[in-house]
Amino acid sequence: MDTVITISVASHSKGHAEQAIDSAFSEIKRLEALFDFYSPDSEVSRINRHAGLSRVTVSPDMLTVLERASFVSKETGGAFDITTGALLVLYDFYHGIKPQQRAIEKHLPLVNYKAVHIDKKDTSVFLEKTGMLIDLGGIVKGYAADRAVETLKRAGIRSGLVAVAGDIKAFGLKPNEKPWKVGIKDPRAEGNDDTIATLDLKDMAISTSGDYERHFILEGERYHHLLSPATGYPAQTCQSVSIIAEEGALADAFATGIFILGPETGIKVIEKMGFGGLIIDKEGTIHVTSNIREKIEIEKPLTRDNKS
Amino acid sequence: MKNLLQGTTKADKVLISVLIVVSLSGIFFMQEVMPKRRTVLIEVDGRPLYVLPLGRDRIVEVEGSRGKTIIELKQEMARVKDSPCPTKQCVKQGWTGHGVIVCLPNKVVITVGNDNDDVHTVADAITR
Repeated sequence: MDTVITISVASHSKGHAEQAIDSAFSEIKRLEALFDFYSPDSEVSRINRHAGLSRVTVSPDMLTVLERASFVSKETGGAFDITTGALLVLYDFYHGIKPQQRAIEKHLPLVNYKAVHIDKKDTSVFLEKTGMLIDLGGIVKGYAADRAVETLKRAGIRSGLVAVAGDIKAFGLKPNEKPWKVGIKDPRAEGNDDTIATLDLKDMAISTSGDYERHFILEGERYHHLLSPATGYPAQTCQSVSIIAEEGALADAFATGIFILGPETGIKVIEKMGFGGLIIDKEGTIHVTSNIREKIEIEKPLTRDNKS
Repeated sequence: MKNLLQGTTKADKVLISVLIVVSLSGIFFMQEVMPKRRTVLIEVDGRPLYVLPLGRDRIVEVEGSRGKTIIELKQEMARVKDSPCPTKQCVKQGWTGHGVIVCLPNKVVITVGNDNDDVHTVADAITR
């Protein structure tokens, strides 16, 4: 995973802590080899190469991630869709090049999460159409955080925090008996460490999807990687979405899906799922679900016009 | 108090006085050497809008149901500088270094010296 991973644990023994951290890193590395969209040797690339051709037998991890992805797609009315891989490759975020409308129109029919057929029995996957590309970038970091936390727990660690880029999962209490504290990035601050809010995290995961991650600005328009499966263009109604859930994979995928859904429908979906959520809409207004309103510490004005 | 002091010698009284001075100076010493991070929490209509460190002087404007409440932070104190409410009780309350200023008509609550020691600690991780 082309990203910074930090693992913090509390333990009485330095040796024990280091051992546990090493095994958690190995676990993340193992998953990276499966899910890397850009590596031709990854399992996901193997599935993509066989799109429209044949079923591909996959690992239990892949099966779990694909099932979770399908669940999130259904719950977000298709806003979260791993098959947007076919659109993502049309953008060059590095050089700041957007695709021609024609190219988008040509690739849109390849986007449909329902065309990913998962066969649990013989642990195989089939993409219905040639040219389909699944990109698991919107779910695997959260899943990796889940797996790393499991690894730490199995190694006997009782308190720790795993951050796979911005996808964080924390368990137990810190040595000072306080929960782990997580900041939410201010989407429009220049500094990468400028936060807009902080909250305590205990036995929960938090993920954020923002329009500032992979993006470029062209003719005054911001083009980022969170593409709407319906239009092929970046979703424009949010600056960032943070989701708090027990499972990192779900927090990660719902953050992406809700970003694309937009603040109004988004908040409803988060509350229906029983998650916590913070949405910063395109005007910079912060929307918070009622279940975390008391727990979150907002450092900046919640709203510009005092509405939410 | 008189009964208590009966039967004590002059030396006892000196000792008691010294002990009182020492313990009181200890309090001042702790306050000077270890100042607490103090904050101002500004809530409008029951929702927290700002948590600000008390150490920095500034003027904050918040929009309540009746209009703009102007809050001034200066030298570790806070006050309502102006308010759209009819009686202006909140303005009359003046500077507060510890406690709560409430403006009921405009639904603004300012909690000064909210010594929650974990409020402004650096986060263990940042989600982005």
